[in-house]
Amino acid sequence: MSTVSLRQTTIAAGKRRSHFKKYLVAYSFILPNLIGFAIFTLVPMVFSLALSFMNWDGANQISWAGLDNFRRLLTDETFGISLRNTLFFVSGNVPLTMMASLGLALLLNQPLRGRNLFRTTFFFPYVASLVAVAVVWNMLFFPSAGPVNQVLISLGVQNPPRWAASVDWAMPTVIMASVWKGMGYYMIIYLAALQSIPSTLYEAAAVDGANGWQKFRHITLPMLTPATFFISVMLIISSFKIFDLIMVMTGGGPGRATNVLVIHIYNTAFREFRFGYSSSIAMVLLVMVLGITIVQFYMERRWVKYQ
Amino acid sequence: MPRLFAQRNAKFPVVLLSLLVVLALSGGVFAQDAAPVALRMTAWDVATTPYWQALIDAYEAQNPNVTVELTDLASADYQDVVNIMLSGGDTTDIITVKDIPGYSAMLTRGQIIPLTDLIEAADLDLSVYSGAAEELTYEGEIYALPFRSDIWILYYNKDIFDAAGIDYPTNDMTWDEFDALARQLTSGSGADKVYGGHFHVWRSTVQLATVQDGENTIIAEDYSFLAPMYNMVTGLQADGMIMDYGELRTGSIHYSGVFKNAQVAMLPMGSWFIATLIAAENAGEFDFDWGVAAYPHPEGVAAGTTAGTLTSLAINANSANQEAAWDFIQFYTGPEGAQVLAETGNLPAIRTPEVLATFAALDGVPEEAAEALQTTTVRLELPMHPRVGAIEQVLNEEHELIMTNSISVEEGIAEINRRIAELGEE
Amino acid sequence: MDSSAAQTLVHEPSVIYPRLKIRLGRVITYAILISLALLMLLPFLWMISASLKMDKDVFRYPIEWVPAIPQWSNYIAIWTRIPFLTFFANTLKLTVTITLLQVFTSSFAAYAFAKLHFPGRDLLFLAYIGSIAIPWQVYMVPQFIMMRQLGLVDNHASLILLQAFSAFGVFLLRQFFVSIPDEILDAARIDGMSEYGIYFRIMLPLSKPALATLTIFTSVAVWNDFMGPLIYLTSQHLKTIQLGLRMFIQQYSADYALIMAAALVSLIPVVILFLALQRFFVEGIATTGVKG
Repeated sequence: MSTVSLRQTTIAAGKRRSHFKKYLVAYSFILPNLIGFAIFTLVPMVFSLALSFMNWDGANQISWAGLDNFRRLLTDETFGISLRNTLFFVSGNVPLTMMASLGLALLLNQPLRGRNLFRTTFFFPYVASLVAVAVVWNMLFFPSAGPVNQVLISLGVQNPPRWAASVDWAMPTVIMASVWKGMGYYMIIYLAALQSIPSTLYEAAAVDGANGWQKFRHITLPMLTPATFFISVMLIISSFKIFDLIMVMTGGGPGRATNVLVIHIYNTAFREFRFGYSSSIAMVLLVMVLGITIVQFYMERRWVKYQ
Repeated sequence: MPRLFAQRNAKFPVVLLSLLVVLALSGGVFAQDAAPVALRMTAWDVATTPYWQALIDAYEAQNPNVTVELTDLASADYQDVVNIMLSGGDTTDIITVKDIPGYSAMLTRGQIIPLTDLIEAADLDLSVYSGAAEELTYEGEIYALPFRSDIWILYYNKDIFDAAGIDYPTNDMTWDEFDALARQLTSGSGADKVYGGHFHVWRSTVQLATVQDGENTIIAEDYSFLAPMYNMVTGLQADGMIMDYGELRTGSIHYSGVFKNAQVAMLPMGSWFIATLIAAENAGEFDFDWGVAAYPHPEGVAAGTTAGTLTSLAINANSANQEAAWDFIQFYTGPEGAQVLAETGNLPAIRTPEVLATFAALDGVPEEAAEALQTTTVRLELPMHPRVGAIEQVLNEEHELIMTNSISVEEGIAEINRRIAELGEE
Repeated sequence: MDSSAAQTLVHEPSVIYPRLKIRLGRVITYAILISLALLMLLPFLWMISASLKMDKDVFRYPIEWVPAIPQWSNYIAIWTRIPFLTFFANTLKLTVTITLLQVFTSSFAAYAFAKLHFPGRDLLFLAYIGSIAIPWQVYMVPQFIMMRQLGLVDNHASLILLQAFSAFGVFLLRQFFVSIPDEILDAARIDGMSEYGIYFRIMLPLSKPALATLTIFTSVAVWNDFMGPLIYLTSQHLKTIQLGLRMFIQQYSADYALIMAAALVSLIPVVILFLALQRFFVEGIATTGVKG
């Protein structure tokens, strides 16, 4: 009797020990990244988020503010405008960039003459320094004599848009610039994913007599879902965080036409020195993005095919 | 109260300051101490602007025990970086004050020390700065001394005037006369079009003229005083007498390019542009005669009234060498520094006749400059105010909307009034 | 380049489509690609043109695409006007160090997130992704204060420590690692291979396209980073290319001809890196086709 129970406990302990060892191995993989990440990113980040319940001017004592900062958001006109602008940017930039990058990757995954050259060309805009990108893009869309409007005028358009110089067109112009700059970047992720699809799958499908569309629908798309998931999460996050491109292209203007959340965050922190309030805007951003990401994760379980 | 990071004790500068004053009064026993002192100072465009180092060299020659090292920061982001540095407890001794919003931010948060007592102890006469010191005074204390001061003047292309057979602008011209002259001087079309006037995209190019009379400042409750100038500029823009604001913005078009390319006849701009033009002319970038005149003025305001910008020096509250820093600042902002600065082709904040003569005698400075730079009154672009940063943000945004014809002048002014009032309620 | 493209043509015969259909498809494909490529390149043609002008003519409209008198001296001026060579060396040092560290630590962590089971895995992963969602502008001041107290400000170490451990790299590689079949790993485990052995001998070789992707992305991000060096590097001898570019934008003037020349020159190393890593995107097919 007792020997049996004894043996059982040793087995259980051994199992636990082997589990423990397995966990230890897993943590050892994560640790090199986690230590650096936790110290240099997570700690200041958590501190900043905690600031959303406090007042701090960046120089003097920090004081407790409770929910004051969040209450202030409700009456902050610029916050409302920047939230709306951000959502506009996200809803334009995310689907357009995804479609463009997938289309490019599919085209350039074929055995084509000079495809390396094409791939490099499409990646070019992402590599170029932002200060150059902004002037170049605005130059293309220069209202009276820029190449874009010259083409439009020659096509018979009477009053072509004034693009970044107009309240209505500034955001679409920024979105186009962002798609132009970003599609080569996400194209690379799609390309890497396409290259990882085992060719045996296509060969087997060919034997079964599948046509091109069927192969795309039943092999390519399902096999791309991890990459698509990554791209959609990253694109949504980075679109919500858009800052640099708008800052150099329009500075948030004309007026507040392209003022987005992170520009507002930056201005409240560095023009008005309300670091607490600025953190509370970031908190709203975090909750929105995290909410969307969690939904995406839930969906991932359902539609992402890992083999 | 959570004290998550070590904070500077607010009393510390005060204690240190009184200590310094006592030391200074006790006969400067330590002042002649030859122990080596290494000072650090923030600056911008160091690689391309010779005066920073020229002044330091002059000081170091007189004070062999002191070395001053410049920290070069990108010009466009200068104040943001300084703010981050100071928030982190940086100890750079001398902080250059680039603009009033930056000055306001640093002094209201106690990051730079008041100099009033030091100035009294050193018995400095602030009237040499012709009013600039008063503009920098906030609640009875002054936190920085100016060394460089640029004023707004009018640049014009003599060749365009000659071709049109029109007399050059005088040093006593009203904005209405400017308006009429700009319309007369505009000619041609397409790529060869010559515009009579030019307003760069800055808010100040329009709004400066509205505070010339001294009755209003840019920080106000009712902004209806902006209307006449905006009506004039948008009128010139609508009639094609000046380049379109939206195109200047999106085309990154810089005023120096259009002036050097002889695309504009008259350009209201700061006096810093003189040195740029001389350098470009010597490099053969353009080949026409140019002149300068006093900044135009509104009807009923004395000729020679203009607006200006200041570049000043302040002492970091965290500096460990405040005494040495103060000595350096006195030199940099004083008459000796002014002389050196003038020799590098820049206008010092001290405008003694000798200094102006040095400047006017520089190679390439147009002959009219000596008279055009004679100013009766200089008004600061932005006055000191604790919320000047937020207010400027509103003004910039509405300026953009008015100039891109997104809203009318009246609507724009109404928006400014509403938004500034809301800022005040917070 | 042409010969390698021709080779891939030979190596990948299209068994999928009938020949005639292919030819029409190809024509359309090329037409789309070439017109898109021109759209992509137009701005760069403008940059080249601008870099050969006098500054005052850069923003003159209508655009003069071929400058009447090309200012080749601009390409000399960028090396003499500012210490561009030093900036180049600094940028190279930062880019190589950060990229190596990031690819190594990220792939290590990503393996655990993708293929190992341990308590708190999903929560930790969500924290990683959550951190991507917070804009840097929000925490750059606290981060700076911390770095200053560590005495690392105005030192390349600060940027290396800040950028070497990114959540982005972990997320990207995890997504690639999960798609590698578990059966391969299980077979190796049965053969007695340790997790470290699996990581080095199976995961890494199988995910070359992903590693190449992360290498490119990290290098480009570090190479083009402006805000980081702006805040952390104040000594002239430590500064990077992007800070150098902004030195041509001064308080009252901006020399865009020189900016364009410097921006084009700084593009060259990144393009070389991209071309060098291209082969991994092609190789991927052969190596991951192991699934049986």
